[in-house]
Amino acid sequence: MTVLERIKSCQAPALHLGKRGFKDESVTICSVLCENTILNSADKTIYKRMDHQYLRFLNDIASERKESLLRVTFNEQNESAGIIKMGGGMPNPKLSPIREGSLTLADGRMITLNEPLMEEALQYGSSTGYGPLMKQIESLTQRFHAPPCWPNTMMFVTAGSLSGLSLAIEAMISKGDYIIIDNPCYPGTLAITDPYKPRYLGVEADADGMNPESLRSVLSPWNPQKAREATHGVPKFLYTNPNGCNPTGGVTTTERKKEIYKIASEYNIIILEDDPYYFLQFRDQKDFPPSYLSLDVDGRVIRFDSFSKSLSAGLRVGYITGPQPLIKRLNYHQQCSVSHASMLSQVIISEILRLMGEDGFLEHVRKVQEFYRSQRDKMLDAATKHLSGLCQWDVPAGGMFFWMKVVGVKDTLKLTKKLSETKRVIVIPGVGFLPQENQASPYIRISFSTATKQEMDEGFRRIAELLKEEAAVNK
Amino acid sequence: MESASRMDYTRFMTDVTKNRKATLLRDLFNLQQQGRDDWIYVIAGLPNESFFPLKEGQFTMADGTKIILDKNTMKECLQYGPSGGYPPLVKQLEAMVKKHHNPPRWSERKLMTINGIQDGLAATVTMMMNERDFVLLAKPTYSTYLSLIQPYSPRILAIETDENGLIPGSLKGALSRWNPKEMSKAHKDVPKFLYMNPTGNNPTGTVLSADRRREIYDICCQYNLIIIEDDPYYFEQYTSEAYPPTFLELDTECRVIRLDSFSKTIGGGLRIGYAIGPKSLIEKLIFYQQVTTQHVSSLSQITLHQILNVWGEDGYEQHVEKVKEFYWKKRDDVVACAEKHLSELCEWNVPGGGLFMWIKVKNIPDVWDMLMKRAAAKKVVLVPGNGSMPDSSSPCPYVRVAFSHTPTEKIEEAFRRFAELIREEMSINKSTKG
Repeated sequence: MTVLERIKSCQAPALHLGKRGFKDESVTICSVLCENTILNSADKTIYKRMDHQYLRFLNDIASERKESLLRVTFNEQNESAGIIKMGGGMPNPKLSPIREGSLTLADGRMITLNEPLMEEALQYGSSTGYGPLMKQIESLTQRFHAPPCWPNTMMFVTAGSLSGLSLAIEAMISKGDYIIIDNPCYPGTLAITDPYKPRYLGVEADADGMNPESLRSVLSPWNPQKAREATHGVPKFLYTNPNGCNPTGGVTTTERKKEIYKIASEYNIIILEDDPYYFLQFRDQKDFPPSYLSLDVDGRVIRFDSFSKSLSAGLRVGYITGPQPLIKRLNYHQQCSVSHASMLSQVIISEILRLMGEDGFLEHVRKVQEFYRSQRDKMLDAATKHLSGLCQWDVPAGGMFFWMKVVGVKDTLKLTKKLSETKRVIVIPGVGFLPQENQASPYIRISFSTATKQEMDEGFRRIAELLKEEAAVNK
Repeated sequence: MESASRMDYTRFMTDVTKNRKATLLRDLFNLQQQGRDDWIYVIAGLPNESFFPLKEGQFTMADGTKIILDKNTMKECLQYGPSGGYPPLVKQLEAMVKKHHNPPRWSERKLMTINGIQDGLAATVTMMMNERDFVLLAKPTYSTYLSLIQPYSPRILAIETDENGLIPGSLKGALSRWNPKEMSKAHKDVPKFLYMNPTGNNPTGTVLSADRRREIYDICCQYNLIIIEDDPYYFEQYTSEAYPPTFLELDTECRVIRLDSFSKTIGGGLRIGYAIGPKSLIEKLIFYQQVTTQHVSSLSQITLHQILNVWGEDGYEQHVEKVKEFYWKKRDDVVACAEKHLSELCEWNVPGGGLFMWIKVKNIPDVWDMLMKRAAAKKVVLVPGNGSMPDSSSPCPYVRVAFSHTPTEKIEEAFRRFAELIREEMSINKSTKG
């Protein structure tokens, strides 16, 4: 059978094309599907069917979103010699008060924003992203993840990775939905989902990341055969922060990722891979476990990348990668909301990457990682010195945080309040990271990103003092 | 006269919006920003600034003035900031708003920065709209607003407009099916907000008169509607007379959310605008910002803040005056070109503001195919008016022409080609009719 014949004969929904048997050909399958020029109308039907398979994940509002007319108008008439465009109400660059700019890199080199570049930086841009930056992030994505379904993969630049995450969740979530998340979980994500009053299915996460056995357990009420076609009453996406997880600092192992992907495939679940600390794993880059995106033969992973920890948080630039039928709809939403990340920010990030070169950028993030690793080690020393016996912890394998369990304490909320009031030390109580309300947590989260050695030492000394005082009182 | 009574703003919020709260981490971030010396903060995962790739920078303004981003400023530009806006910029914008619009009940309002007006618009829709809601808007209206609301399958109440903008009588007519007292209290199945782009309306270019604004405001009070005032062309009004008051200026009952931006005066690429409105509604928008973009780019905000500093109040006024003069001349040019090439074929009103001209093609009932399929061959791009109509599938004879950035000679040539295109289209239509 030719590849096309195999697709046509395939009974399973397009998402399951990436089964083991097809694995080697999955790239070919996808590229065949997506090379519209070689598809006749019958094959386009298959492509539409694949598009249709993704509709299951979208709520009513998201499935109704369409591309904005103005974008269609611009896309249809490309820039070619002699065309006079009086379509978009773009402000005239002659009136811009800023003509040019220059920025000095840490190593002393200069980025020059000459007049044409400055004009571009101040003008409206495309909702997908500044062209040169798009090329750079595509290259990085290919280099680190080589997504198996690359021809069916779409990327766009977001105003920070959280913006992309909220677009994705808003497109899929309905009130009262079942949602699978890390437990404990990044509070920023909980803040997106809480207002929908979802039914959280928290999956235990530890030093090695999300636990597949715990995932199987939370999914056990559902029959996978029925679940993967159902549109209501089943969990449809899974959120995870797999590397340097906020707050646990765990890094999900390769084995666990493969197992989790397999489970997601069985239940036809979208994986939201939120990975801002990807480069902050405390190991050599060559030893990074594969990302979910790199394992994604089905086309079920939406990945969120960020420049916030590697280059700049304040510029608000991140990017999203995933299956084209889903990502294009998220972009429709971006078209009529944020429009695009600040062009000035995008141009600057792109120029920094250009000057560094891809290898230079990786060298840069290696240094950043080294720094945070040394910060982690300093905090580990301080913790060992002051908190042994009083607290328990796993050594973070990535990220910026220690997740510490206070021995003999059921809930740290009152404790952290007292700590700030009487000892003038502020740490975050673990309850803020729990998906359900009205729960108790014996954990505290402590950041080592900016504290000095002295601050760590003094801070932990004060924490130990309070813990000992509390223990004495409780006796 | 200021009314002492306060509105119940929860009536305008969706269930999901009512559930939105401040995020724990953002609250603690704000706490950390207070930076008291004797406290030890080990909470926020703020990236360490020693690794920021940029150390300092500068921008050169058109007149040669330099905006300096020194080491400390650059750190701020590259670091996370507070949701709601960079505080020094927020202060400046509050002062500007007070000066230009002098809103009543100032202490009941809050101002926040947003990622351009579009971001604010989307946030208000998310805040207030449920599926199948009634939506009041002008016909024609800003096409991207339609893209925003269409997915909710709204019941659109389209209000008629003329050369002076939205017609108050038509608004009254659309609301006449409801008893105002009952509608004011109802939570479901009634319109709850009115979207307005009153100045240099996109696409019609009309400027709503002062009298009509007052009448419309009164109607909104009667029927308890929130007014979304989308006003990016406030400074592009082609008149030497005093500007009509903004809805914010008229807002004695604190029911206006005004959206404004620096896209047309400084640059759309920076993505900076602001929203000002009743505190409890703006707070919800800030909570939403906390879980989406987090905040407007720190670099954009700080740069704008510095530009406004360098200019001072006078400098800013001078700049917007220059902008207005420039677009005014462009408006005159485009109208002259239209008179030269299109007077037999088309009808139009002279735009009183904004960056668009709204042209009706006399003998072509629907311009969609002509512009989307045949205009490319004529090498001219114009936007069919269909997208600005609440019912985009109905035939539409209107064309939206943007005159902001095309050199005048090219406008002339574009209209010459457009006239040819129309004539060809008319003969196609004749021949198909047999």
